[in-house]
Amino acid sequence: MSLLLDPDIDKAGLRICSRCIYDERVSAIHFDAEGICNYCRQVEVLVNQYGTGEAKGEALFADILDDIKRSGAGRQYDCIVGVSGGTDSSYLVYLAKRWGLRPLAVHYDNTWNSAIATMNIQKVLKCLDVDLYTHVVANKEADDIFRAFFLSGVPEIEASTDLGYAYLLRQVAAKFGIKTILEGHSFVAEGITPLGRNYFDGRYIEAIHSRFGRDRMKTYPLMTFSRFLKSAILDQTKFIRPFWYIRYSKASAREFLKTSYGWQYYGGHHLENRMTSFCHSVYLPQKYGSDMRNNTLSALARNGEMSRAAAWAEYNTPPLIEDELVGYFKKRLGLSEQAYNDVMQSPPKNWTEFPTYKKRFERLRPLFFILAKANLVPMSFYLKYCFPSRLPTS
Amino acid sequence: MNALRTRVIPVLLLRNESLVKTVRFGKFSYVGDPCNTVRIFNELEVDELMFLDITASREGRSPNLKLLADIADECFMPLGYGGGLRSLEQAKAVFDIGFEKVCINTAAIEHPDLVTELARQYGSQAVVVSIDVKAGWWGGATVRTLAGRRNTRQDPVTWAMEVERRGAGEILLTSIDREGSWQGFDLELVKRVADAVSIPVIAHGGAGTLQDIGAVVKQAHASAVALGSMVVFQRQGMGVLVNFPDAEQLEAVLV
Amino acid sequence: MGNLGSMLNMFKRIGVKASIEADPEVIRRAERLVLPGVGAFDAAMMRINGVPGLLDVLRNKALTERIPVLGVCLGMQLLTRSSEEGVLAGLDWIPGVTQRFPRQDGLKVPHMGWNIASLTTPSALTKGVEPQSRYYFVHTYCVQVDDPSFSLMRTHYGLDFEAAISRDNIHGVQFHPEKSHRFGLQILTNFATL
Repeated sequence: MSLLLDPDIDKAGLRICSRCIYDERVSAIHFDAEGICNYCRQVEVLVNQYGTGEAKGEALFADILDDIKRSGAGRQYDCIVGVSGGTDSSYLVYLAKRWGLRPLAVHYDNTWNSAIATMNIQKVLKCLDVDLYTHVVANKEADDIFRAFFLSGVPEIEASTDLGYAYLLRQVAAKFGIKTILEGHSFVAEGITPLGRNYFDGRYIEAIHSRFGRDRMKTYPLMTFSRFLKSAILDQTKFIRPFWYIRYSKASAREFLKTSYGWQYYGGHHLENRMTSFCHSVYLPQKYGSDMRNNTLSALARNGEMSRAAAWAEYNTPPLIEDELVGYFKKRLGLSEQAYNDVMQSPPKNWTEFPTYKKRFERLRPLFFILAKANLVPMSFYLKYCFPSRLPTS
Repeated sequence: MNALRTRVIPVLLLRNESLVKTVRFGKFSYVGDPCNTVRIFNELEVDELMFLDITASREGRSPNLKLLADIADECFMPLGYGGGLRSLEQAKAVFDIGFEKVCINTAAIEHPDLVTELARQYGSQAVVVSIDVKAGWWGGATVRTLAGRRNTRQDPVTWAMEVERRGAGEILLTSIDREGSWQGFDLELVKRVADAVSIPVIAHGGAGTLQDIGAVVKQAHASAVALGSMVVFQRQGMGVLVNFPDAEQLEAVLV
Repeated sequence: MGNLGSMLNMFKRIGVKASIEADPEVIRRAERLVLPGVGAFDAAMMRINGVPGLLDVLRNKALTERIPVLGVCLGMQLLTRSSEEGVLAGLDWIPGVTQRFPRQDGLKVPHMGWNIASLTTPSALTKGVEPQSRYYFVHTYCVQVDDPSFSLMRTHYGLDFEAAISRDNIHGVQFHPEKSHRFGLQILTNFATL
């Protein structure tokens, strides 16, 4: 099944939002009288709520900044910025320093980093004189978990990285007594991930690993439910997303980073980490018919940085895949050609077939609502996890 | 006037199939996947790389040829390997994979003839003898083997001279006490050894700053410098981040 | 040394099909030849002389058919007429001799490490190469050519010697391009498009 349609948006042959490029294939999409999709409207609502890029947002954020400085006073660092070598996190470190904060950069290394990401982190942190905390998962262990997910037939092969990262940020915050974690997510620059099929939590990862993995988990930071709650309630670390309040353009950020630090753009193809690259460019499109490039492309079209026609054309050209990426993936995970093909062609499984905390999150919705309101868990977590699966789950 | 650059060589430690970093040959922490990490050093265009398998000798293991082949595939610069090498056949296998140099430590002490044999077969420039040195209770520094666990009670200078006599091309001189400490090289030790032999001495153990690199070359007469902690950690006491000193800055301290 | 694998790797990176051959029949069909550096002068010449038909094929390809030839390290030294390392005659395809580095105080031999090669004569092999690029050298003997017109790059180590030489379709580099990062990559890329 080919995902790619005619790159000429006028010849696409299906319904496309008149503001962005989400088309009728996107799950849970509907178009209103103006032909605008619910995701665009959702961004409108959020922009209104947070006053993004407007005086309201700036004022809200100014208060938040004061709060961060106040709660971090007297400690070595007053906030954490998770860094990956990518645009958002690199720029956020710069902003943090400019705002007069004392950030600690934190990196979760799943041992699949590209050279470009590593070099970017080094350049930015060196120029800005920011300390780095890294957690490296033992490579064999990381691979064992990745392999387990691949063999299980579910799409969330990146779950261990995503959850490990989230937990690491919390762990480091607790260790250094840091009360704020800054995140570079921007619903304007990146859009809203459509309500899709993907899901992950600590119980899910543990289940997949115990069924399809081989080695014990020793260095992987697994965020179980109790660890999650303990962190949210006892450690009281807040998650703040500055780009929800202030204006942010990825293109300008990149220019700035290039000129100021010699930072390098790796292309919109997740080349900062080879597992992410495999997941987005090969695994999800080829096995699940899921090409998530339309998230960012829609965002660019939505906020006028790119024309809809150009965004649609790019979406419908094959993704750039690093030479030998698949070969590397197979080699690292010890998969023969046959084993790899078998998995790629086998029927997809999904998270509902494995143990998860989902029901527990739904039952505890009131608690998480309070925590989300207090910024102790991300609001996006509350929206995605605490409602029954007919609604948002990814 | 010589434009031959003083070599600055990252020394990477292999433990089973992971890259690790130790402190004083003791506690270790994970650095990453060997091939993935090597790829980064290749991008950084380092002059040369040396891999030491730190458990091979004490476990009586042979080199992991498959892993070494994967590593060699990623590199377009000279490579050296040490760890559990005890025979010509093992060395040959390593050379055939594409490594330029083999590094022997315990085997050199136990069978010094091996040094001569290797040099004769492959040329002395392909044979590096690794000398690990640690201070004893009385302060005298002696040569250790088996990743620091056995004390040969030999004087490093005497052994270094013997090693040269046997045909080694280079000496990798490691101060166990300084390893992972960021406190600077043991200049006195390096100077004593470097002044006693005419083959290149690669100083290893303790580098923390560019100034340390300059000092061990200019004051202690090391021909080359090996870096461990400096190239795998962002800063002293901070997180893992593969990096290499800026070429211009290196030149400034080495000239 | 066992650098043949690395050489193949670099060609693979450029996207050029390359293989290691010793059979004259296979070599007969080559479009380009690389003479690698393995072992000592006499040992190498003996190997070449020792395989029936090999020397003839090589001479034919290099001097009659004139396909591009690249000698690397010892391979470059083999292109000269003789070497102080041995007693056998070299291929004598480029007028020059191979000599040992002089015994000088403080001059450690072999010449091992990264050194600068300066361009002396522009050529297709060195297209895109900066006037002073660095490469990885490891050798005890070095080449002097009879006439400067055969010199492509020179390096200084105790004395000035040829880092790269050339005569018509026949070229040689004393350094190891397969161990010299993007500098070596540039040379091999140029060679592959000669």
